[in-house]
Amino acid sequence: MKILVPVKLVIDSNAKARVKPDQSGVDLANVKLSINPFDEISVEEAVRLKEAGKVSEVVAVTIGVAKAQDALRAALAIGADRGILIQTDEMVEPLAIAKLLAKVAEAEQPGVVILGKQAIDDDSNQTGQMLGALLGWPQATFASKVDLSAEAVEVTREVDGGHQTLKLTLPAIVTTDLRLNEPRYPSLPNIMKAKKKPIETKAPADYGVDVTPRLKLLKVGEPPARSAGIKVKTAGELVEKLKSAGAL
Amino acid sequence: MPDYTAPLDDMTFLLQDVFDVEKTFAVLPGYEEVSAELAASVLEEAGRFCAGVLRPINQSGDEEGSRLDNGVVHTPKGFKEAYKAFVDGGWSGLSSPTEYGGQGLPRTVQILVDEMLSASNLSFGLFPGLSRGAAEAIEAHASQALKDQYLPKMVAGAWTGAMGLTEGTAGSDLSLVKATAKPRDDGSYTVTGSKIFISSGDHDMAENVIHLVLARLPDAPPGTKGISLFLCPKYLVNDDGSLGARNAVNVGSLEHKMGIHAQPTCVMNYDDCQGWLVGEANRGLNAMFTMMNAERLFVGVQGLGLADASYQTAANYAKERKQGRAPGAKESGMIIAHPDVRKMLLTMLSFTEAARALTVFAALEMDKETAHPDPEVRKRAAGLVALLTPVIKAGFTDFGFEATVLGQQVLGGHGYIREWGQEQFVRDARIAMIYEGTNGIQAQDLVVRKLGLDGGAPVRTFLAMVTETIAEGRQVAAARDTAAALDEALEALESVTTRLTTGTNADPLEQNAAATDYLRMFALVTFGWLWLRMTLVVVAKGDAATPHEKRKIEIARFFSSRILPQSLSLGSQICSGSAPLMAIASEAF
Amino acid sequence: MTTLLIADHNNTSLADATSRALTAALQLGGDVHVLVAGANDRAAADAAAKLDGVKKVLLADDPALDHQLAEPIAALVVSLAGDYDAIVAPATGNGKNILPRVAALLDVAQVSEITKVISSDTFERPIYAGNAIAEVRSTDRKTVLTVRGSAFAPAPQGAATAPIEPVAAVAGDYRSFFVGEALASSDRPELTSAKVIVSGGRALGSAAKFNEVILPLADRLGAAVGASRAAVDAGYAPNDDQVGQTGKIVAPDLYIALGISGAIQHLAGMKNSKIIVAVNKDEDAPIFQVADYGIVGDLFQVVPEIEKALN
Repeated sequence: MKILVPVKLVIDSNAKARVKPDQSGVDLANVKLSINPFDEISVEEAVRLKEAGKVSEVVAVTIGVAKAQDALRAALAIGADRGILIQTDEMVEPLAIAKLLAKVAEAEQPGVVILGKQAIDDDSNQTGQMLGALLGWPQATFASKVDLSAEAVEVTREVDGGHQTLKLTLPAIVTTDLRLNEPRYPSLPNIMKAKKKPIETKAPADYGVDVTPRLKLLKVGEPPARSAGIKVKTAGELVEKLKSAGAL
Repeated sequence: MPDYTAPLDDMTFLLQDVFDVEKTFAVLPGYEEVSAELAASVLEEAGRFCAGVLRPINQSGDEEGSRLDNGVVHTPKGFKEAYKAFVDGGWSGLSSPTEYGGQGLPRTVQILVDEMLSASNLSFGLFPGLSRGAAEAIEAHASQALKDQYLPKMVAGAWTGAMGLTEGTAGSDLSLVKATAKPRDDGSYTVTGSKIFISSGDHDMAENVIHLVLARLPDAPPGTKGISLFLCPKYLVNDDGSLGARNAVNVGSLEHKMGIHAQPTCVMNYDDCQGWLVGEANRGLNAMFTMMNAERLFVGVQGLGLADASYQTAANYAKERKQGRAPGAKESGMIIAHPDVRKMLLTMLSFTEAARALTVFAALEMDKETAHPDPEVRKRAAGLVALLTPVIKAGFTDFGFEATVLGQQVLGGHGYIREWGQEQFVRDARIAMIYEGTNGIQAQDLVVRKLGLDGGAPVRTFLAMVTETIAEGRQVAAARDTAAALDEALEALESVTTRLTTGTNADPLEQNAAATDYLRMFALVTFGWLWLRMTLVVVAKGDAATPHEKRKIEIARFFSSRILPQSLSLGSQICSGSAPLMAIASEAF
Repeated sequence: MTTLLIADHNNTSLADATSRALTAALQLGGDVHVLVAGANDRAAADAAAKLDGVKKVLLADDPALDHQLAEPIAALVVSLAGDYDAIVAPATGNGKNILPRVAALLDVAQVSEITKVISSDTFERPIYAGNAIAEVRSTDRKTVLTVRGSAFAPAPQGAATAPIEPVAAVAGDYRSFFVGEALASSDRPELTSAKVIVSGGRALGSAAKFNEVILPLADRLGAAVGASRAAVDAGYAPNDDQVGQTGKIVAPDLYIALGISGAIQHLAGMKNSKIIVAVNKDEDAPIFQVADYGIVGDLFQVVPEIEKALN
């Protein structure tokens, strides 16, 4: 069985996102970029399944500018076998990403597609579910445990207030949550091997997918500044304030 | 526990923009395929490993320390697991030859990983560092049989290495070594003696420890020409590579030290243990010296790493510590607003970034020295490496230690208590000024041996490079101040160099009296040269330069106006000769 | 225009986020219908019908819709979607799971976790973990939105009760099957990922007092328990609970510091929390400099009062 792992290059989780003065977006020049942390968990899970002998090949795919292949290299260093870069300078929204991934899935015929539940740049949390819809495959989002067999995958999901376990017949979509695993530090030999693993470069047009955005980004602003703290007199007043601030 | 961030931006800038290492690697057989991009990936992951695995056990390791229990050394909590992760990750063989299972990467990449190891956890970093040194000595001098038997395991990190050199009465002067070795019938030797200050002498992280021990054969001539090198494993190794009987390589005690508490520094007793000769009889010191430049570069980088570690915490603290009012400010603000705090931080930063540049320069010369096809290039590289080795070892560890003290000072009382980790960096940095040849010995090496090397060719080559960069700098507006300051400092250095090498003066003690000041002066000029070079590279990059790179132009100006002038006063100190040092009788001290 | 709001519920009652999403849905300007899809979920539909501003409730009651599985619910929503200009769900676990599937089946983009309705097609939403706020306009023929509950007040109960109309689940060859669930486990959340943290300092005085005061409030809030270095050093709390420079670095939505003075090393570990509450006897304690809400007082009195006010 093959596993397809879509990955994305995003701002490093330790880097601070700064809004551009002209409010056109977030300034990513000179900011450290890394593989999306949830995607790293996806790759780790896929590689573990391969190491357990349940999977024969792990294919990583990314969509973005040429530099986005750094995310593929990161995936290859963890242990993915090969990469596909669908190169475009356009801003591609989750729906178009899902359409491209659906085409890749049709070509690659994976048993499971494992995706991060969301990318930490636009925080959309959509792509996996959309891919499931487009392919007509079942989905288990926010996975904290994945148990793969030849015909099905049993997934424990993080849901509000606890866990839910689903069984999906293959092929299926899984999106990963933080507690699924702790990604390894890639070994030096694997980092070096990753440089030699094949990466195939494609364009959205090769798949016949129109990636024109459906949303118009009007502006990107700073979040409201932290307002100065206040002293409250009573516990009741405190709880009231917390409720109106949405903290309770 | 303060966080550590590997200085990847700076490293990438040096590898790609300043030294364009890819171009050099392309002509070095064995390294042709090492791209700047590969180096960057390796460094990035190494940085993550150091920050995520090694730094979290740095402070706890210091507090717990290694301990000796019934002759067995136990490393602090977490070290065994971290070492396993290090070995499983293949990091121990980074620059080792591929024929023994290493990754065969250049020293230029290795040394930057060494910086990260030193910065994140020096006690830990010494284990792989010493193993590599021992493995390099075995590779260069041991018989093929010994290499085949020991190197694969050492390169893989399954076995670690230790160096048994120093004895109670033989430290800086190894001609006094007393340990003995007697031939056995089977071609091996019985090694007997006691050694002190043996880093990584024993521990519980790997299954075997391979000691390289200096000892005298029965018929050996006295002095340095009668010392041989022996390989003495903690466990004997069977022909099939499996471990056999315990060899009589015993830990007498652990040294009680000021710093690097997690590192087991042992008193080792070689109680008639079995050993094997490495290299030729009576040529043991030569065998050690072939790897000495590399070892000393490694020790120098420890000073750099700890300085950067201390700087990172100090800079973050200064930006967040609200206290007092800066001159001219209306209300209290962050302490980074104070010029005096900035001066401390800039002193640290102008050292670390120049030192890192010199590290890459020297390591690249070392790679050329070993691998370049042109013998002329190899010779020139060897000369520069020989010249710069004592400057790096002593210069980096002196300035590095001073930087950790400044980093402690920035935090005030919080620098003195353990919480923030700053006092540990001070303690850990102190040893690097002492081991692997004290900094005093390094200064003597520079003045007495290295200046005169090959008729003075290396120092001339070096000074010519500096002169050339100054000429370039004078053509560039943003570099002009830095170039002018460097020119002045260079002139002073040249004049003192002439004074110390031509022997025109009648003071036989002058070289010795001048050495430490001279090395510092030399280091300052070298840093100034690299600041000028970096300035020129940043200017040439124009708008493509990152903010990290652009700020270097201002740091260069700080260095040339606030730090480099110290070289002028060192010059006049030196010119006072040995008289002020020798005037009072020894009894008067 | 007409908006379909997909309710999040457990068949018997509505999740609080549903009434908050209703507020956002009403701001779109049109009529709002609420879909309550589940099994034996009449009670939840009754609750939805009582919310102010709801014009109609669609009740889908079918065993296939139990457990809110994405496949059948998405198919149901798509079958109803023709009548609606906007489809809205709260950004809860269920909403986030289901709605993108709906959007893709309708071939429209989704705007996730909106925090403000600017007009019927223009919204604000946080990106980069809230470090930036994007204003986006949907150009699709239908608008699909999830709503961040904390950004909208819950819609109140109305005077009238909206009519409830049954709708049928869509049969299909669904390939996801419910195996089991473990809800409301009493396990305390993990410190570094908890949304709420209740942290205690040296002022607690003893391990017994620490447990007696901190734990009930943490339980009440479903919060993780933290401690200052001083409290850990004094043995009131285990080392694993330490928040600060030398302990864990946390950034929960709500951080409640009880009897913690706010030494700089503690602040370094929690100052990025979204909302910080401090209770301390010393009104000059540095913790108040970073706290959004502070109470100067004896925590042994204040904490029980907070619990009371919560109930």
